[in-house]
Amino acid sequence: MRLFVWRWLAVSSLVLAAFAARAETRPQYGGTLRIATRDVLTSLDPSQEPSHLSTQANIMKLVFETMVTVDQRGRAQPGLAVSWKASTDNRECTLRLRSGIRFHDGIPLTAEIAAASLQTANPSWHVTAEGDSIVIDLQNSDPDLPTELALPRNAIAKRDANSVPAGTGPFRVADWQARRRLLLTANEDYWGGRPFLDSIEIEMDESLRDQLLAFESGKADIIEVAPEQEQRVPFERQALHSSLPMELLTIVFTRDAQSPNEKLLRQALALSIDRTSIGNVLLQGAAQPTGSLLPNWMTGYAFVFSNQSDLAQARRLRDQIQSIPSWTLSYDGGDPLLRLIAERISLNAQDAGLSVRPTSTINADLQLIRISLDSTDPWIALEGLATIAGLPAPAMQNNTVENLYSAEQSLLATERIIPLFHLPIVYAISPAVKNSTLQKDGTWNLADVWLENKP
Amino acid sequence: MCKAVYNSAILDVSANSEFRGGGLFAPLCNVLGLSTLILALIVPSFASDWSTPEQDLARKVVAATGQVRVAVTFENRSSLGKRDSDIIENGLRSAMQAAGLQLVADQALVSVAISLSENPASYVWIAEIHPSTGDPMVAMVSTPRPEASGAGESFPLSLRKIPLYARDQPILDVAVLEESSTATRIAVLDPEKLSWYRMENGSWQAEQMLAIPHNQPWPRDMRGRLIAAGNHSLEAYLPGVTCQASAGSPARLDCRQSDDPWPLLPELNGTLAVFPSADVANGASTVVPEVSGFFAPTRNFFTGLLTPPIGKFSTAPKFFSSALLPRENNPLWLFAAIDGRVHMIDGVSDQITNVSWGSDLAGVKTACGSGWQVLASSAGEPAKDSIRAYEFPDRDAIAVSADVEFDGPITALWTESRGDTAVVVSRNRDSGTYEAFRLAMACGQ
Repeated sequence: MRLFVWRWLAVSSLVLAAFAARAETRPQYGGTLRIATRDVLTSLDPSQEPSHLSTQANIMKLVFETMVTVDQRGRAQPGLAVSWKASTDNRECTLRLRSGIRFHDGIPLTAEIAAASLQTANPSWHVTAEGDSIVIDLQNSDPDLPTELALPRNAIAKRDANSVPAGTGPFRVADWQARRRLLLTANEDYWGGRPFLDSIEIEMDESLRDQLLAFESGKADIIEVAPEQEQRVPFERQALHSSLPMELLTIVFTRDAQSPNEKLLRQALALSIDRTSIGNVLLQGAAQPTGSLLPNWMTGYAFVFSNQSDLAQARRLRDQIQSIPSWTLSYDGGDPLLRLIAERISLNAQDAGLSVRPTSTINADLQLIRISLDSTDPWIALEGLATIAGLPAPAMQNNTVENLYSAEQSLLATERIIPLFHLPIVYAISPAVKNSTLQKDGTWNLADVWLENKP
Repeated sequence: MCKAVYNSAILDVSANSEFRGGGLFAPLCNVLGLSTLILALIVPSFASDWSTPEQDLARKVVAATGQVRVAVTFENRSSLGKRDSDIIENGLRSAMQAAGLQLVADQALVSVAISLSENPASYVWIAEIHPSTGDPMVAMVSTPRPEASGAGESFPLSLRKIPLYARDQPILDVAVLEESSTATRIAVLDPEKLSWYRMENGSWQAEQMLAIPHNQPWPRDMRGRLIAAGNHSLEAYLPGVTCQASAGSPARLDCRQSDDPWPLLPELNGTLAVFPSADVANGASTVVPEVSGFFAPTRNFFTGLLTPPIGKFSTAPKFFSSALLPRENNPLWLFAAIDGRVHMIDGVSDQITNVSWGSDLAGVKTACGSGWQVLASSAGEPAKDSIRAYEFPDRDAIAVSADVEFDGPITALWTESRGDTAVVVSRNRDSGTYEAFRLAMACGQ
């Protein structure tokens, strides 16, 4: 047996001589991570910043923490609160605080500070401190409250009149230049363990092109990539990391339909849009054409809402109307893709006998906008989406998929919104960045990220 | 526009299991003993009963259509496999017929397109109902998805992976305290407590749990080690904290803030470490000098300071893990340094090896091969981490076993007190569960 073993070893050693690379798997401490983003933070107060911009929400999570977090299956998990209990009518929720937490300025987290923070972010709630717990009283029943507490705007901040709000998160603010730059350093006393990184530099208001140049020249470790550019990036595609679709590209009418005829015209416009061509040509197949507000992975039923164009039916609807208005369709002038899509929609509408004129001015009859879904919880995502689009709040009877379908169907029936595409969030991440798993909703956990050391 | 037909509420997704150590592994261990090869063939299966949602959806379809002739089509848009989707399709056909529908291919008054779909929490089955006249309708039911479950070349030795324990919370180390054919009593170290469990009726039952006090937050990538110190007492080493657990029942745990070095070898015996089990047949044991290393209290690595020195080396590079290979003259120590290199220190020289390993090493003394093997994790960030056994006939590493794969990154790898096996902990990438295994060497294939 031993003779066999050593003969075998001799042969194998020839093969194994090829092993000469260095590598490591256990995390290493140190280093500065550099992030570039289009997003612009104007404030470091989580209650004041909209949470529907993905990178922005990710950045806020580095400094501020929420009472509850949400896991990959959308279930509430402990955050700054170790436990919670809702009343049977879901109008009151008591959350017990984790002990031993300190803000970055050294002040302990108390129930009073947490209650004040949540009250600021949610004026309609009634939030009180009771010992080591806070009690949230709601005007209406909300079985999704724990998940809602995981939204970035509900992060706990200690606000002082003359300084940047203090958080409890894994990184603390070292330098803050509104709209331009944010430097974060590791919170040595973080309750969840000091992050591996020493610091994170975030450059804001960077165009996608500038981000790409910075990435290629090694000046940025994480950048945003437009989904339609995924196939064209000038570096290894292994560096690209995509979320599940978390953004809705949609047309929103700025006011309610004023008559049944106008509703018919809006239906005709929806039927005239050739999503397949736009998706294949302009979006390079990176987006999912949709007739629903929420993506199919989140609900399971999105395919029920048709996204097929039907020009003949669009013309039939249009022919029922004598007077055809000339609509204006606005888009973000800084987003060249939206301009191209708006022009294509205009042509599609023209084929159906409708008049839609693209414009980059703000005042228009229709808007072509991107809406980032701010939660993996479909109810919260639908509610946030409705708020941004100016739609009525979805009616929430109980937490079933059938009621969700009904609520979404009701929003679509307003004829105020025409969903077009669901898009993923795409980042390019340097190979030196380790453990950089992008969650399926596009969130990062940069406290667990580490950088490969150069020997 | 479609009309909705309402159905019953989604059942609650099963709660996050607080503790399921016995659930995953213990019954298998109990039934199969050490039949690891058989264990490896066992795949998670969910004995699903689809009858309730089948009947619910059939009832809703009938409520929408009446008892008429319908043409039904099926499409599986979910992650369900063909076998399950076929079972569900047959079940739905039967349920619809039982509810009074006549399933026909031609001359149907209503066509029903059934889609098996899903979202993160549930399977969602949708019936799109298209009457020959009137508006289309939609009916749907949902049923919870099951929780995710954890579970070439020729080599002279085989490395076996024997499940010990698993749960959702972190596991730093596991010590087997009693065993017959399988482990029957274990101690589990986690960042907050030391726990004792006994195998009863196929599952691990908690005997005692004692909290580990600590003043400072634990470092990220927390590490800790349990060492059986004889007479069933235990020593626990955590960053900046050392604990001693008495052998009594109930046990007592004394912890103190301490920067004391951690033993790099198991089974302390004065100034010597003993590997008694490998040569049990002839009663011999291997004796090598004990070496301890200082662990950085706010980091995840050893500082490199060694006591006593290895020959002329009182320091090694900062390292994550180490392994010993006894030699006739000077024992050879391997250190997985934090820069990714593996250093060989024999007391006279410090050489950098040409191996490409991960950062977790453990040495084992066995009756196989040359008698000493090094277990090393793989390098890089693969979706599945792995461990392989190596020998050093000279100064070059030779793989002597195939890779043993894990469903996620290795978070701990320590030589067990007997010296001939190691405990490995990995975190399942899908379920997030921490899974502890014993790694044992089998001679021959």
